[in-house]
Amino acid sequence: MSVIFLAKRLVHSVFVLLGLSIVIFLIARIVPGDPVRLAVGARAPQWVVDNMREHMHLNEPLHIQYGYWLRDALQGDFGISLVTRRGVAKDIREFLPATFELALYSLFISVTGALSFGIISARYKDRWADNVIRIFSYLGVVTPSFVFAIIFLLIFAFVLDWLPAIGRLSNGLTLPPRVTGMVTIDALLIGDFNVFWDAFKHIIMPALSLAMGSMAQEARITRASMADNLTKDYIASARALGVSESLVMRRFLLKPSLIPTVSILGLDFAAGMGNAFLVELIFNWPGLSRYGMNAMLSKDLNAISAVILTFGVVFVVVNICVDIVVGQLDPRIRLSTAKGD
Amino acid sequence: MKSFKYLSMLLVLMLLLTACGQAKETASPVAAPPDTTTVEVPAGTETSADKSQLQVAYSWPVYIDPAVGSDEASSSALVNMYDTLIFPTSDGNVIPWLAESWETSDDGLTLIFHLRQGVQFHDGSELQASDVVYSFNRLKTIGEGYGYLYTSVASATTVDDYTVEFIQNEASGLFLPSLVRLFILNEDLVRANTAAEGAYGEAGDYGKTWLLINDAGSGPYQVTEFQLEEYLLMEKYTGWWGEFVENAPDQVRFVATTEAATIRTLMSSGEIDISDAWQSIESLENLDELDGVSIAALPTFSEFYFMMNTRIPPTDDINCRRAMAYAFDYDTAISLEWPGTQQSKGPVPAALGGHNPDVFVFSRDLAKAAEELAQCQYADSIAVYPVQIHWVSEVPDEEKFALLFQANMAEIGIPVEVFSTPWLSVVENTGAQETSPHIVTIYVSADLPEAGPMLKQRYHSSSAATWSQNEWLLDETLDAAIDDALSTIDTTERFAKYAELQSQLVDLSPSLFVYDQVQKNAYQDYIDWPAVRGETSALLGYFYFAPEISINK
Repeated sequence: MSVIFLAKRLVHSVFVLLGLSIVIFLIARIVPGDPVRLAVGARAPQWVVDNMREHMHLNEPLHIQYGYWLRDALQGDFGISLVTRRGVAKDIREFLPATFELALYSLFISVTGALSFGIISARYKDRWADNVIRIFSYLGVVTPSFVFAIIFLLIFAFVLDWLPAIGRLSNGLTLPPRVTGMVTIDALLIGDFNVFWDAFKHIIMPALSLAMGSMAQEARITRASMADNLTKDYIASARALGVSESLVMRRFLLKPSLIPTVSILGLDFAAGMGNAFLVELIFNWPGLSRYGMNAMLSKDLNAISAVILTFGVVFVVVNICVDIVVGQLDPRIRLSTAKGD
Repeated sequence: MKSFKYLSMLLVLMLLLTACGQAKETASPVAAPPDTTTVEVPAGTETSADKSQLQVAYSWPVYIDPAVGSDEASSSALVNMYDTLIFPTSDGNVIPWLAESWETSDDGLTLIFHLRQGVQFHDGSELQASDVVYSFNRLKTIGEGYGYLYTSVASATTVDDYTVEFIQNEASGLFLPSLVRLFILNEDLVRANTAAEGAYGEAGDYGKTWLLINDAGSGPYQVTEFQLEEYLLMEKYTGWWGEFVENAPDQVRFVATTEAATIRTLMSSGEIDISDAWQSIESLENLDELDGVSIAALPTFSEFYFMMNTRIPPTDDINCRRAMAYAFDYDTAISLEWPGTQQSKGPVPAALGGHNPDVFVFSRDLAKAAEELAQCQYADSIAVYPVQIHWVSEVPDEEKFALLFQANMAEIGIPVEVFSTPWLSVVENTGAQETSPHIVTIYVSADLPEAGPMLKQRYHSSSAATWSQNEWLLDETLDAAIDDALSTIDTTERFAKYAELQSQLVDLSPSLFVYDQVQKNAYQDYIDWPAVRGETSALLGYFYFAPEISINK
């Protein structure tokens, strides 16, 4: 993976994000309703609305408004949120880590589950284990994450009372000093295992709900990829040379079979962050996805633009990371990008 | 054999989940983080580890700045953190609170309040007249929240440390009751936490940034922790001058969740004591089945209207409107709501002071509906004027009322088209006469315990072009009558004028007055909640005045 390739991807990403910001900026302003009137209420005097509109440059033409927005955004200032009434940048700093933490745990569950189930399915292709996993995979793919969230909530919190239903920490516990903003990690950093364990219990259900769809999809992809590679000549050669089956699976089959899984995994991770709002709502998880949803319902212009741009940045960064990992998994891709791109 | 490895891994995962359930809560609070949402608790606060807690579900967001918040959640928090000069009672009157007494000048323009001495803010400093003046000026300057209630007040000045004088531009009988929304801030504390740069000139940001997550009040509870979007934690202020009932909660925790499955789980486990007020009828029925949980049906100052646009055919014809009013099946509509709901008697909720109990009430009468329709100028061409009714998408319960209306009107030959419209679009559409639909179904709540302000916000020309009036009456005579009633100082005389206005509006039939909203909350039986017994003012927020609520676990 050459430095030039990465530099090109970064330059492309800047244009992608710029385009995204323009589209989102326009869409947010097309939605009906005066955002300021919505924020201050129907009975607030008109001068309050007028002052706020002027302060937010809402009376200017759209391209001028965008110019102001871009100028401030490049300095890290995304304006004031009409919902939280404070800086959007501050909101993002506060809410992003919660969603990121959720997505990380979800990713871990997805990867672990998808590889386990994918390998079992491929290894025992068309036998009962493969059939059972296939059924669960189909269910996982077609069932929205919020349905899993409600099912898990009812089973593990309402009926069994094993796991806490809402929030990031139990009532009475205090958040650890903020370093990353991710409670489980911050708790470990200060060595408070009680808080870590409590936070871990809180994250299991939302992370699992979010992971189910991508885990099911990636299990199928892993299985298909491995089953396809199983028919390749080099596998037959390895087997003919007496290489043990476990070594064949681990060394010769798994690595090339992971390429499509890793590619889709990165997309799932980034998409999961954006799509987590219902899961965050159900588990009262104070994340950025839920914040973004509230912003849209309230026509919180600054927050909408900033949240979508943030998810855009995550998406771009994750994609670059995926390209790097895929390049490491397959030298042909690495070499072609080094030469051609 | 490999499959057993994977099955073993799954088994370990399952055991891990089981362990989660079996593990006892051994964690103890750690040092508070340097987080802006965690507030240091000053002296005068209980430090017992075993504190009783009242947990209330609410709909995010909540604003705890008295110059910003005015919705239900914000008002509920504010009444617990701040004191006001007067306090509302369940019968619609007010009693002395921070103000021990007051006098009104003969012309009704000047009111002088004498403050209670020795009242302490949460930081231990004494509340004085200057704090009242500062709070008033701040609210009026910022203009958000309840600021609109004081636009007719010219000034507030200190007479001495414990006396405040308010001067109004014009006499208004509403100024006194409106003071239940003037929450008194600690001036010195707010000034010390005011950013120099802000939208208010020399006043900087007027402390708005700091007051987003901190309080500067003297009320019975003080903020200890505020995690935006998640929860607001308040703790009993033992230095409060008022009285707590026995077993009043040591802490009040507002939890930001309204999701039906989540609420059911939390009510079942006792992690929520009082649910939010936005659960559907089906959800409430499920909650009612839980052991130890009951449903409270609390009368409110809110009414459910079918607002008819009086500027477009066929709803611009009074006979057409009256035909619809006679054809609608109110009894069935009410049977679709929670038990205890009553049909509205006229244009203001019956719980408001100055409501006219003798006002004419429409009931379903198809013969009269046909008579009225025959007199409508569109009687012969009604088929070419389909009535469009828009219900608010975010309130799914409204759909059944719109469908009932459609079915009822079909019986007298009025075609009706039903639309589900997002709230943002409703606000946008009702903002202009040409885009306002024939009918919009909306709940409107009064901010003060009197009929007058409700009449003004519903039918005065000043409220046209807002979502609170789709009727577009634009009647100067009616406007003048409303303004005259509101400026009448004598309560009896004022209420008589309100009554006359209500009769006029019923004759005009600009709306269907469907029912007075009943607030439905699920609550734990171990909560002794005065609101259930009708002992609390129905003014927004006061149902949750925690010093009067006891937890008897």
